[in-house]
Amino acid sequence: MKTTVIGAYPKVGDDAAAQELRRALHRHDRGEIADGDLDAAYDATTRAALKEIEDAGVDVTNDGQIRWDDPLAPFARAWGGVSRGPLERFYDNNTYFRQPVIKGPIRADGLTLVKDFAFARAAVTRAELKGAVCGPLTFATLAEDRHFPSLEKRVLAVADAVAAEIRGLKDAGATLVDVEDPALVALPAHIELAREAYGRIAGAGVAICLVTYFFPPDRILESLASFRVAQIALDVRSRETTALGRLDAFPKTTTIVLGAVDARNTRLETPDEVARLAEGALRLVSPDRLWLAPTTSLEYLPRDVARAKLAALVAGAKSAGGVEA
Amino acid sequence: MSEVLPTTTVGSFGKPDYLTKARSQHARGKLGATELEELERKATAEWIRRQEQLGLDVLVDGEMYRGDMVAYFAERLEGFKIGGLVRAYGNRYYHKPIIAGRVKRPAPMTVSWFEYTQSLTSKPVKGMLTGPYTLLDWSYNEAYPTRREAALALAQVVREEAEDLERAGATYIQIDEPAIHARPEEIDIAIEAMGLVTQNLKAKTISHICYGDFAAIYPRVLELPVDQLDLAMANYGYRWLDLFEREPFTKELAIGIVDVHAHETETVAEAAEGIRKGLRFVPADRLWPHPDCGLKTRTVDECVEKCRIVVEATKVVRRELAKVPA
Repeated sequence: MKTTVIGAYPKVGDDAAAQELRRALHRHDRGEIADGDLDAAYDATTRAALKEIEDAGVDVTNDGQIRWDDPLAPFARAWGGVSRGPLERFYDNNTYFRQPVIKGPIRADGLTLVKDFAFARAAVTRAELKGAVCGPLTFATLAEDRHFPSLEKRVLAVADAVAAEIRGLKDAGATLVDVEDPALVALPAHIELAREAYGRIAGAGVAICLVTYFFPPDRILESLASFRVAQIALDVRSRETTALGRLDAFPKTTTIVLGAVDARNTRLETPDEVARLAEGALRLVSPDRLWLAPTTSLEYLPRDVARAKLAALVAGAKSAGGVEA
Repeated sequence: MSEVLPTTTVGSFGKPDYLTKARSQHARGKLGATELEELERKATAEWIRRQEQLGLDVLVDGEMYRGDMVAYFAERLEGFKIGGLVRAYGNRYYHKPIIAGRVKRPAPMTVSWFEYTQSLTSKPVKGMLTGPYTLLDWSYNEAYPTRREAALALAQVVREEAEDLERAGATYIQIDEPAIHARPEEIDIAIEAMGLVTQNLKAKTISHICYGDFAAIYPRVLELPVDQLDLAMANYGYRWLDLFEREPFTKELAIGIVDVHAHETETVAEAAEGIRKGLRFVPADRLWPHPDCGLKTRTVDECVEKCRIVVEATKVVRRELAKVPA
């Protein structure tokens, strides 16, 4: 049973040394340091985040998304036809994002994340590295659209841009890419439109993990099971859900990434709690098809709590590892 | 108020450089609490003078003594722990509080600041509190088995503070709920909790709401037991007003007519147009022009400029209203 992370890792910690990036951004904003100095701070923070994730014993990591201002920002900045609008709340969090504003056809060169991926690949020592992109339904439903005549056309255009980014990551060496799409479970009514979007993404030729979080997948679980993806991530911790008892709905080829520690509450799970949750899943899924993860981005937690959550996750996975399905 | 279109602000203003420095020295243990408070009082007095000079009608203390709107209360309530740094957006971080035990209010938290500020001016000063639902939603809840139980416990301490503010002479009490639309399915909890806070108050009650899907809680939010809703509008291109076409807005409306998250400010003409949009739905004696949100992320000069635009735009529309017989 492998462990992994989802989304962004905390960019700063509480001690002064862990706030280098915060200081660098302030100084850059005031024109006191050059772009290259800010870049160096991003690099150092990425290395530190990856080290913490690896030191916790996590098997598969992303790059920590240290350069991401918010889950849509890298794409809203890079894609042609898209600009950045006002601050909006990101779902039910006290965390805000710049709303993408779609003003014309979306143009993506697929190179948005390639440099970050290459940097992280050189920086990891033990863990496997995966890529991560925003989900098409999430981007399309959170954006302000001044161009496309319908939600359907917008979602599919975003899916094509996301597919280009995934191909770019594949060319850079990625074998697995997370597509982080909480809108799927936030807006279950759009499930069929999402299926069409993921049909386009599947053509990118790399294993995809469809990542859901914040809301339970209960209403669309069986539909999700028929998506053509290699992995599916489900939050079974932060709200009531029946998903844990219905994992047999997924094909025997799909890996379940179980959100097993709550990345939005400081209350720390014990390794035992994590193991019990994993054992619940192991009744319906074989150990080689079960991964454990935080429910969502650890950036919703202070950095010391994020570290402790990862430690509990890894200890819980080890303790549950001996249990046969 | 005698004037139509009374002007006000949402609560916080930018802190002067000397206070920002002093707060950081205090955090590092290099400046005592008494010395810091002296500077906070000085900055508060400066903001009262500026608001009077600008011609604002209902004033605020500017929150020179507060950092984050939830942490300030969490630091003064029993049951809370202050957690580590968490990012809100961009490069903005806050210490997200943890509800670690049963919540109690050992002493008043804002009353002496209200008394001090009101003593500096003959204009009314608003008492400023953070609402129970937002205190819950912007904290980690480790202590209460359900969010409703936590919200009602928090409502009890906010109510004690609000009633103390009223006893101290506050005629306007603002109980902000910017998190109210975080989980639209919990609007009943927010309404029930606010009901506990306001049920015995005679002061005009106000609640500020911003940055979220207001449409998801409209018209249910009209059941929030306060007299006035205070809404960010300019940042949203006034799109929430469309909702009032379908379901009439029944409360007083404080309407945000300048965006607070941009260094640049709207022109007087643009801001005046915002007021005119509001007048289509709310009469002039119940419509309060103001900036979208608290101004604490702006410099002192930017705050003054944004408030000046609000006041000038209001004057323009007041003149128009005076020319047109009702």
